[in-house]
Amino acid sequence: MQNNGYLRIKEIAAMTLLLVGIKLSDSTPALLAQKAQNGFWLIPLLSFICIFPGFLIMLYLLKKYQDKNLIELMEAITGKWIGKGIGIVIFLFALLTITFDSRNYIEQIGLLYFPKSPTIVLFFIFIGIVFFGAKKGIEVIGETSWLFLTVIKISASLVILLSLGEVVMQRVFPIFGSGITNILTEGVKKASLFAELFFLLIAYKVTKASSMFSKGIVIASFITLFEITLFYFVYITVFDYNSIAKIAFPFHDLTQFINLGNFFTNIETLFMVFWLFAAFLKFIIFIYLATWIFGEIFAIRNFEPLLLPFSFLVIMIGQLPFNSIINELILREMLLTIMSPFFIILPYVLWGIAWGKGELK
Amino acid sequence: MVRFLKKSSESPSSIEKKKVYNSLEKNIQEMKYLFSSNRNKDFSMRSLKIKFNNKEGCLFYYSSIVDGSKIDMHVIKPLLENEGNTVMNVVSIENIEETNEFSKVIQYMNSGKVILFIEEDASTYAMDVADFQHRSIFKSENEPTVKGPQDAFTESLNTNLSLIRKQLHNNQLINEGIQIGKRSINEVNMIYIKDVVNNEILEQVREKLNNISVDSVRNVELLEQYIEERPYSVIPTVLYTERPDKATSYLEDGFIVLLMDSSSACLIVPVTFWSFFHSPEDRYLRFLYGNFTRAIRLLCFYLTLMISASYVAISNFHSEMIPPDLLLAITASRERVPFPLIFEVLIMEIAFELIREAGLRIPNPLGPTIGIVGALILGQAAVEANIISPIIVIIAALSGLSSFALADLNINFMVRLMRFVFILAAGAFGMLALTGVFLLFFMYAASVKSFGVPFFSPMSPHFLSPEDTVFRKPVKKELFRPGYLYPKDIQKKSKS
Amino acid sequence: MIRVIVLLIFSILLSGCYDRIELEQQSYVIAIGIDKTEQEGVYSFTYQIANPEIGSAAVQSGPDEPPTEIVTVNGSDILSSTYTANSFVSKKITLDHTKIIVISEELARSEDFIRVIQSASRTPQIRRSVQMLVSKEKAIDFINNNEPIMEKRPHKYYQFMLNRAVQTGIIPKSTLHRFFQITEGDADLFLAIYATTEQSDQKKNTEGFEDKYIAGEIPQIGGSPTQFMGSAVFKEGQMIDILDGEETRVAQMLDKTLEMEDYLATIPDPKMPEYRISYNYYQKKEPIININYYKNKPTEIDVNISFQVEVIAIPSLIMYSQSKKDQQTLQEALTQRLEEKTNALIEKTQNSYKSDAFYWSLYIRKHFKDIKEYEDADWHKNIYPNAKINVTYELEKMEFGKMINDSNLEDVRD
Repeated sequence: MQNNGYLRIKEIAAMTLLLVGIKLSDSTPALLAQKAQNGFWLIPLLSFICIFPGFLIMLYLLKKYQDKNLIELMEAITGKWIGKGIGIVIFLFALLTITFDSRNYIEQIGLLYFPKSPTIVLFFIFIGIVFFGAKKGIEVIGETSWLFLTVIKISASLVILLSLGEVVMQRVFPIFGSGITNILTEGVKKASLFAELFFLLIAYKVTKASSMFSKGIVIASFITLFEITLFYFVYITVFDYNSIAKIAFPFHDLTQFINLGNFFTNIETLFMVFWLFAAFLKFIIFIYLATWIFGEIFAIRNFEPLLLPFSFLVIMIGQLPFNSIINELILREMLLTIMSPFFIILPYVLWGIAWGKGELK
Repeated sequence: MVRFLKKSSESPSSIEKKKVYNSLEKNIQEMKYLFSSNRNKDFSMRSLKIKFNNKEGCLFYYSSIVDGSKIDMHVIKPLLENEGNTVMNVVSIENIEETNEFSKVIQYMNSGKVILFIEEDASTYAMDVADFQHRSIFKSENEPTVKGPQDAFTESLNTNLSLIRKQLHNNQLINEGIQIGKRSINEVNMIYIKDVVNNEILEQVREKLNNISVDSVRNVELLEQYIEERPYSVIPTVLYTERPDKATSYLEDGFIVLLMDSSSACLIVPVTFWSFFHSPEDRYLRFLYGNFTRAIRLLCFYLTLMISASYVAISNFHSEMIPPDLLLAITASRERVPFPLIFEVLIMEIAFELIREAGLRIPNPLGPTIGIVGALILGQAAVEANIISPIIVIIAALSGLSSFALADLNINFMVRLMRFVFILAAGAFGMLALTGVFLLFFMYAASVKSFGVPFFSPMSPHFLSPEDTVFRKPVKKELFRPGYLYPKDIQKKSKS
Repeated sequence: MIRVIVLLIFSILLSGCYDRIELEQQSYVIAIGIDKTEQEGVYSFTYQIANPEIGSAAVQSGPDEPPTEIVTVNGSDILSSTYTANSFVSKKITLDHTKIIVISEELARSEDFIRVIQSASRTPQIRRSVQMLVSKEKAIDFINNNEPIMEKRPHKYYQFMLNRAVQTGIIPKSTLHRFFQITEGDADLFLAIYATTEQSDQKKNTEGFEDKYIAGEIPQIGGSPTQFMGSAVFKEGQMIDILDGEETRVAQMLDKTLEMEDYLATIPDPKMPEYRISYNYYQKKEPIININYYKNKPTEIDVNISFQVEVIAIPSLIMYSQSKKDQQTLQEALTQRLEEKTNALIEKTQNSYKSDAFYWSLYIRKHFKDIKEYEDADWHKNIYPNAKINVTYELEKMEFGKMINDSNLEDVRD
């Protein structure tokens, strides 16, 4: 791993925005809307409130134990073997998230733009590009994320702007959707919507100064929260609660629906390009982080050659014969529900142990 | 073969150690042997009786590369007539060097000096009377500007240096010579501003130059290929320009310029993407006008790189995107074309490259007419014969034309080559492959480093800099030198 | 190595990958018509395919080629029957550029309609912005008879025709998106464009010079036989009635989610009823809709519409622009007339349709905490039909065009 200190606040923020923020464009809204109906746009807010204090504790711990990344920190606090154990759990979470997510993205690409191409071919192309991208290393990934962030966000804003004409504010009412208790429980259960923030902690030492990392990731988390909430709000006001639960890919339905004047009526491919950039970058970052976590656990300093087997693994697991509905609504939901308590509790436990050992003076 | 190799490696090393003899006779013999005087027509020698010490002397020179009258006036005449105690005090030449090695003697001879051997003297004197032929200064033809200095480098080191020094009156401007080559020893001149340039980069360049071990490096065009890090890469890492003003502006920012006597251009290292993207005129034009040009150039960059590929991707995979009127028009024009669309595009792109290459090589008087006629025939006749559809002509013309806006030859080739890669990607899997390949290309470019400088700095990774990337700030607001060079003095202008 | 790569590239290029298809290998459908057949579950689909060679300067088309090709096949849904159609259409039928879906009134009134239209939302080829149109006759006849005279290219014709008609308010904007929102929302009435190519017995202009027509009734000389006028009312995905042009316009005035720019209309001159004053109606502001929800007694709905009027012609030559009092009279006549018409329409929806056509269910939502409560309260079975609705019109501004005064009749005759 190279570290020339090229990464700064904006690169870290860009990576966070791409990794977490792209949730607004996959089928997460459909997943959330199943139970919460038109209150689903509040769920990210609640999830964020659940998970963010813990995340700040993690940042605090990392700051206290200087020169450590996520895995090293856990090893330092809980002892080598327990630390590695938790590390493996985190790694498995990351790998499964990548797999389910990538399957989901492939379905989107396949269903909407390449209906005749077999999934396996799309998978190989997609993950192949992701693999070669990830090979370039974290600094290039960070720089590329930052350079692409502008155009990606411009196109996202354009989507919002063009859909404003279709927004009917009153559709957010009744404000609590399927009921306030429902929303609250869903909010807690889906707290792992922001689990990627924890995976990013492995890169804690990559910036010039650690404070840059913390600043970047915290700023980006808030922006992401805003973005996700904004987009979910737009979905609910454009599609209404009955439709949103039925639409698997609301982002693409939205881009298909909007048009740029009378002349350019089908402009979804335009947005698809930028969405693809974001998707590629998300998985490049993600697969790199997962491999990094793995490398840290097993003390493999030069972990980049491991990218190839992991990419292949993702394709192979992604190929398991579930249809997209099972993948999205059952498996992914299960994963999110399992991950949530883990990531909510983990920071407090670590903090408690560290405090108990008296290492926080 | 082996014997041949052995022999060739032997001869230069034996001369290296040879010292100048004390006897004039022996020296003359040695010289005659070294320069094959019986066959070498322009090898000249002249014996004379030196007046001030009353000894025999002998002068050697290549008559083709020295100034005869200068020898006559400032060497022979003083030696024959003047009194004095050393050679230095007698001859009236501005540059005399003393040596006692034959290897040096050979080098001096080749660089246009006259060599003086004196009886009972174990050292020789090399006096600079060189007069290499070169063009006079012409207008810059390959990088023309409307506003800005018009002169261009020419094939003479001294002239080129004077063009640079004319613009940069600075005692810290150093011209450091480094000899490279084994058989033909040429000099590369490294020019930099001593109190600005970063020592590490300077050392890196120096080392690179010293490590070149080949028989000869004739000019900077070849030198470029010896000093670049990735010869197989599609992305250039050395900037090549024939404009002294461009070179000077880079010098001021702490870059290093490489000059050679035999080239009408210089090399600038290290580079970033932006050095290829910019043209000196952007800075000569006022803020708004300059940035407008930049915007146009950015558009051209996109068009030439992507328009054919986008067209292939959209019409072959995403036809829903084309507005109905246009869609029907394209469909109608394609109905009688026998080839797949991607073939049409490739045919036209290659045809354009053909015209371009042929137009470049064609003798001047025929040039322009043939180019235009070729284009017309290729475009119009091909459409009428239903080989290609008219819209392809527009696409190919657009992408070809925009490529001329990227003035730098290196980046121009990069774009033209990548264009084909993108077309093939688009033809294989539409926007998915196109975006993917573009992303990979972009990431590859981001990972390229030229003498340790990342290709997209200062945009990312961020550095303190004049922020002159896609667009530039008003000249008055540019406070810093580019930080990615780690210059010794980063402040360009104080804030107030 | 290089040879292998070159070979690979060429094989990729020549074989064409999965989804690659040349433009000329596709037929672009502009309009889809759906009809009922005798058989349950089988529908007849009509596809209007654009002929690319018409109107293209680049290619000289054969003199007899029609601008469109119209094919009809039987099938169970929109997409699968395109494959059946390929037994006699030479190219792959692509629905991406569909502008309009025509549904025969017969089918629209049947219970099965929702089944067949549902399949349209499942395919990504049909956009949510496609307009839905109900034709009086069979859809196949509508598409066949529809012969635009000026705009040969069908997509242009539909685009221009619908845009203009929607602007004037005589037909509503009825995208598939809106259809699904309203039908799935299960609370309001959906208005679809109503059109026909058949002239029925033309209504006499008994009471109005305005748009009190539905399609087919407008006396017309020359031009294309197709008339777009009025709207088909859908309740729970099934057509129940037809509104005429004027009612459609009123419905759009009351609906915030639909946009209508302005229209021209006439009223009898309040001072000389044998003449009619024509005016241009603008609605610059959205209507203000206030709902007071009571659990146990009828809900109160207050609607306030502010509008502007530009008087265009006063054939009676009465100088309204000069006299404040006359203006007052005119103003009252205007608001009264608008209120009358609106009340009539609201009464109709409350009593015979038992649901609203103005998407007002949106405004009651905020009175509920969650969806269950809202659905239990049941807007269109319970709340709306019993609601007390009070519509007031407010004239913001009256303009008299660029002439200050009309010519004085007596001076002219003198």
